[in-house]
Amino acid sequence: MTTQSVGIANHRFAFGYYRQTFWNWLIGTAFFLGGLGAGLFVLALLTDHTAGMLVGYLIVVVGKNTAHLLFLGRPERFWRAAMRPDRSWIARGIWAMGLFAVSGLILLLPRVLGPAWQLSGWLNGAATAVAVLSAVVIMFYDGFVMNSSPGVAFWRTRLLPLLLLMYATLGGATLSLTIRELRGEAIPGFLPTLEHGLLVVNFVLLAVYLARMNRSLPAARETLRQWLSGPYARVFFGLVLLVGLLATLLLSVVQSHVQATGLVLLIAACELTGDFTLVMVLLKSGLFPRQTALAYSARGI
Amino acid sequence: MARYGMVIDLKRCIGCNSCTLACKQENGTPEGVHFARVVTREVGTYPATKRTFLPVLCNHCSDAPCAEACPTGATYIRADGIVMVDKGKCIGCRACNVACPYMNRHFVAKGLLTGYGTDGLTPYEAIKFLDFEEGTNIKCTLCAPRVDQGLEPACVITCPTDARVFGDVEDPNGKLQRLVKDRKGWTLSPEYNTKPNVWYLDE
Repeated sequence: MTTQSVGIANHRFAFGYYRQTFWNWLIGTAFFLGGLGAGLFVLALLTDHTAGMLVGYLIVVVGKNTAHLLFLGRPERFWRAAMRPDRSWIARGIWAMGLFAVSGLILLLPRVLGPAWQLSGWLNGAATAVAVLSAVVIMFYDGFVMNSSPGVAFWRTRLLPLLLLMYATLGGATLSLTIRELRGEAIPGFLPTLEHGLLVVNFVLLAVYLARMNRSLPAARETLRQWLSGPYARVFFGLVLLVGLLATLLLSVVQSHVQATGLVLLIAACELTGDFTLVMVLLKSGLFPRQTALAYSARGI
Repeated sequence: MARYGMVIDLKRCIGCNSCTLACKQENGTPEGVHFARVVTREVGTYPATKRTFLPVLCNHCSDAPCAEACPTGATYIRADGIVMVDKGKCIGCRACNVACPYMNRHFVAKGLLTGYGTDGLTPYEAIKFLDFEEGTNIKCTLCAPRVDQGLEPACVITCPTDARVFGDVEDPNGKLQRLVKDRKGWTLSPEYNTKPNVWYLDE
């Protein structure tokens, strides 16, 4: 009987890979909502769609922030997280969310409450620029937060912020289409095309990401194995790929020929399920390295 | 100013976990939290099997990723190289936990400071738990209060086989540098580029 095989350590005195359990579903929810809301807000702003802007704004300001505050061990000190924007992506994210909350409100007030709340031309322009920039940062900064944590090798790639940015845009496009459909509003011609394109792009990006991880550190390769043939394979292939990308693409192609509100809701459910599952699997499947060194392993002890 | 570190001789370690207990006693850490521990592994093929022991603690890395990841500056590196946590600044975001490839950061979750027993805190726990705060992160301090008094960390003085050597890692004539040089010392997971200040010897 050999005892050389190395698996997942179930406690800290055991040898093996250690599961990432520190960032849980609340952080996953915050990351998911941040990308989704910011993506929706940007697309709604670009297409002058007040309902989309409002929903996107609320998803970020209420949803994402609530999830973050619920997660923090000392939520009353949350403001301290903004202290080091020169070094920490968490701090940069806090600044982005603060700027987004203020600039988004400036843009929403005249649309919701009436033109009396409208700011002068250049102030409105500045608020628009700040809102778009901060929303874009919110769409991708979680990826930098994750990949600036060297403990989990599976997150250590610059592809992660790009992947989250593209998924945020996709989620925003899907939700934008859904809101317009539910409200019986006209759908800009580019939105369905954008959604189809992003579904293909995200599939390719995901494949590149996994290929990149195949050449990464052992802990990342072990996570990859768990995605492709281990405990996360069903969730990854079933929910992320099949439901989140393939079914969404097929249904949205059908939707472009057969207009049906139920179909739009189904597309949104599929896409958002895939989006949320991807974030959660990324978080939960992270592994810390074995407590060993290259030299130690090489000696076979 | 000295920069403190440690050398652990695996040829001397017998896996007795005295260091684990000494650390628990010195720091009074809550249930399930071990700043020092011994990772045990069985290797070989039956009947030629053996157990190997790897005592681990915070590596007090020169490029500490936990300090880098901390958004509030709660985790900082002292002038003598010891990585510390200012509990008053910690917000419990656990970025440091995720950043440390060695799993040597510990989060004090709600309810963790209720003691081992069922009848409330013992007098010992009541004193020791004053050092901790729920919802914040804690870690090995290399027994900084002892070091500040010129003493060695509890795990070092307790080790019955003298497997641990504590000292100034930057002293070219010091025992640490000599041991690392003479016996080809190595650090854990060097591929993570954290520049640990805990070395291991097995030659």
